[in-house]
Amino acid sequence: MKKYLKLWYMYSIYTSQVGLQSRFGAGLFLIGKFLRFGIFLFFFYVLSAKVDEIAGYTFWQMIFIFSTFNLVDIASQLLLREVYRFRGYVVTGSLDYFLIRPISPIFRFLFGGADILDFPMFITSAILVIISLFHVENVSVLGIIAYFSLVSNALLIALAFHIFVLAMGILTTEVDNTLWLYRDLLQMGRIPTDLYTQPIRALITFAMPVGIMITFPAKALFGTLSPFLILLSFGVGFGFLIMSYLFWQFSLRRYSSASS
Amino acid sequence: MVISVKNLSKEYSVFQKETGLSGNLKSLFNRKYETVKAVDDISFEIEEGELVGFIGPNGAGKTTTLKCLSGVLYPSSGKTEILGFNPNERKKAFLKQIGLVMGQKNQLWWDLPAVDTFILQKEIYEISDSRYNKTLGDLLDLLDAKDIIKIPVKKLSLGQRMKMEIVTSLLHNPKILFLDEPTIGLDVVMQQKLREFIKEYNNKYQSTILLTSHYMNDVEELCKRVIVINHGKILYDGVLSNLVHEYSPYKNIRITFKDNVEPNKFTKFGEVEKYAYPQLELFIKRDEVSSAVSKILSDYEVEDINIEDPEIEDVIRKVFGGE
Amino acid sequence: MKKYFWVAKNTWEETLTYRFNFLMWRIRTVVLLLSVYFLWHSVIPEGSRLFGYTQNMMLTYILLTSITNAFVISTRTHEIGDEINSGDLSNFLIKPINYFLYWFWKDIGDKAMNIVFSIAELTILFFILRPPVFIQTDFTFLSLFCISIFLAIVLYFFVNILLGMIGFWSPEVWAPRFIFSIILGFFAGNYFPLDILPNTVFKIFEALPFSYLIYFPIKIYLGQIGLPEILNGFLLMVLWIGIFFIFVQVVWRKGLKAYTAQGR
Repeated sequence: MKKYLKLWYMYSIYTSQVGLQSRFGAGLFLIGKFLRFGIFLFFFYVLSAKVDEIAGYTFWQMIFIFSTFNLVDIASQLLLREVYRFRGYVVTGSLDYFLIRPISPIFRFLFGGADILDFPMFITSAILVIISLFHVENVSVLGIIAYFSLVSNALLIALAFHIFVLAMGILTTEVDNTLWLYRDLLQMGRIPTDLYTQPIRALITFAMPVGIMITFPAKALFGTLSPFLILLSFGVGFGFLIMSYLFWQFSLRRYSSASS
Repeated sequence: MVISVKNLSKEYSVFQKETGLSGNLKSLFNRKYETVKAVDDISFEIEEGELVGFIGPNGAGKTTTLKCLSGVLYPSSGKTEILGFNPNERKKAFLKQIGLVMGQKNQLWWDLPAVDTFILQKEIYEISDSRYNKTLGDLLDLLDAKDIIKIPVKKLSLGQRMKMEIVTSLLHNPKILFLDEPTIGLDVVMQQKLREFIKEYNNKYQSTILLTSHYMNDVEELCKRVIVINHGKILYDGVLSNLVHEYSPYKNIRITFKDNVEPNKFTKFGEVEKYAYPQLELFIKRDEVSSAVSKILSDYEVEDINIEDPEIEDVIRKVFGGE
Repeated sequence: MKKYFWVAKNTWEETLTYRFNFLMWRIRTVVLLLSVYFLWHSVIPEGSRLFGYTQNMMLTYILLTSITNAFVISTRTHEIGDEINSGDLSNFLIKPINYFLYWFWKDIGDKAMNIVFSIAELTILFFILRPPVFIQTDFTFLSLFCISIFLAIVLYFFVNILLGMIGFWSPEVWAPRFIFSIILGFFAGNYFPLDILPNTVFKIFEALPFSYLIYFPIKIYLGQIGLPEILNGFLLMVLWIGIFFIFVQVVWRKGLKAYTAQGR
């Protein structure tokens, strides 16, 4: 465990060094992310001038959900950035080198390059979660505990999806599109999933549990989520993780290296 | 015995592309797969300290075999045992004892100096400080590469990069080393240096080395034993010189004459390759060489005579061509 | 002229070759469209009116951003920066071909494919969601809509060329694009019609060229701008096109000098 922590630290340092070599580009990307974040907040602000509630959600509740989305999205990008580089390893065959190292290859591919550039965004999202938390009425300690457990559960589901993406990458060398599809589906969670009508709601419940990842934690905090649905969320999270890990192992068996 | 391979096979299913729009649409729903046998029922054993060369044309199955041995690929059937381990289990104890170098593939951090990759490698393989310093020093000495480890990898030449790749793969002193086309793309001088290094490394550490290459010089200079593979099957496994005897029962005789001779008169000794005064080249059967040569020497005035085994590359070409 | 037609056709076929990537890209745009659609669907319930929009007007606006994007925004010009950086630009400089026209026609090939997909997607969404939409029947507004789309295509093309030429001076061609796409989505009116903004903000947006790429054409379609304002808008667009055209020429000439100097 200690070895893995140290390795994670080293990978992150190296990746940051590489990332910061092109300061101009890195700076622009950072600005872009803040810009997008600010624009959405501004949009909510404009709406709030005319509307009190959207489908039963107050504005601070909407913003709380929006910042929860950002928190989950940025946290998984920050930690799992290496997955975005996986395709390169598959098509050049460098993957083989990682498979013969005496460390878990899945650890390497998931956590081998945390992106320090996402850190400012992560902090910003976290701060906004806290600010909007104070503006939401009737929050209980139990609600807060449920919220954080469900957000952790959401990160597990995100992890499961990234493992799934890796396995797909090994089988088909296709990584980027699956990854972006995941990101875009998750983006539907910027707003409460109750806003979507069928059959779209079914898509983001069954194909990807966006609701469980973003809306449910927030609802648990608002006190509008039943204990059954909380338990179900953990069940889904656990199930996704196991399934994706099995799929990963299957993909390794089917792996046929780049030279063929 | 450190490596034992029994009836190893590896099959790939390859997606067959259909042409045209209708073919494309069809293949979206109903893909046709074709099974390709990259490695087809091969068996061999390798003793500790041996330096074995795998030879064969592109796509013969050399690399696939190496990858099955190192645990990267799962065999379709058969059994491989390396140092008593099943490579596919990826046991830590096993992985710490093997090393893999692939020409043209990169394991270095491209934008950082190679020494950063080395330090990472040290952590991954849990190498102690003292052993790391010693091994690194030795390797850099052998490769004469002390001064380039602090330069970002992207600024190194191909040859320098290859040196760094090798150091990365050898830092943990692997007992078994797989070299897949290590000299590919390098210039002649660099190839020669690398060969010398491999030889020295093999002597110094008594490690077992398996090498694939299509430069015959690599194999000729380094390996006593070769395994010839084509279409996934082993065609020959044994001492290199015997391969020459087996597949080429002739020797090359090159004679320089004082006076012009009639080349047709030499057909009774063997096959006349070419004649351009004053030089005649012929192929003579191995067991007839000595009698033929003494006959020629007594019948003609000869300036010079040369008896050689045929070029190994010609022999190999013959092995692959003659099936 | 014929050679440029082939450029467009080749681009179309190139997209077909990478059809999986393209398909995924389209799915992504639909997913984003859906978020915006459903947000507005809830913000303006049936029968109510907000910011001067009824539900069907607002949802028509949002759905129309898809087709307007296909016409105006879809482009291949982001490859220009890479082409300059890799030195592949040299292959074009020695050919009897106008580099800008070449890219314009490449864009047309790309746009054609996007338009086909956008129409198909909207048809599917129409059957699934049964959205209340507003169909414009006035021929004047429809033809003015077409003119505005054409002007928007030309205007955005020059903006793109300008962005691509960053490659002459910097290897970082993707980061500026990233920022630009974020700004564009917002300032052009991809997520909401710009006139819901406070009046002072709206005035600033209107003065910038972005609003003419998405917002302006759709507003014409919806019949929500009067004729004098439309003509006024057209005039401004032509003016912007002129400014960008001159700007492109100047930067191109300077860029070529930098290109040779770099000797790539």
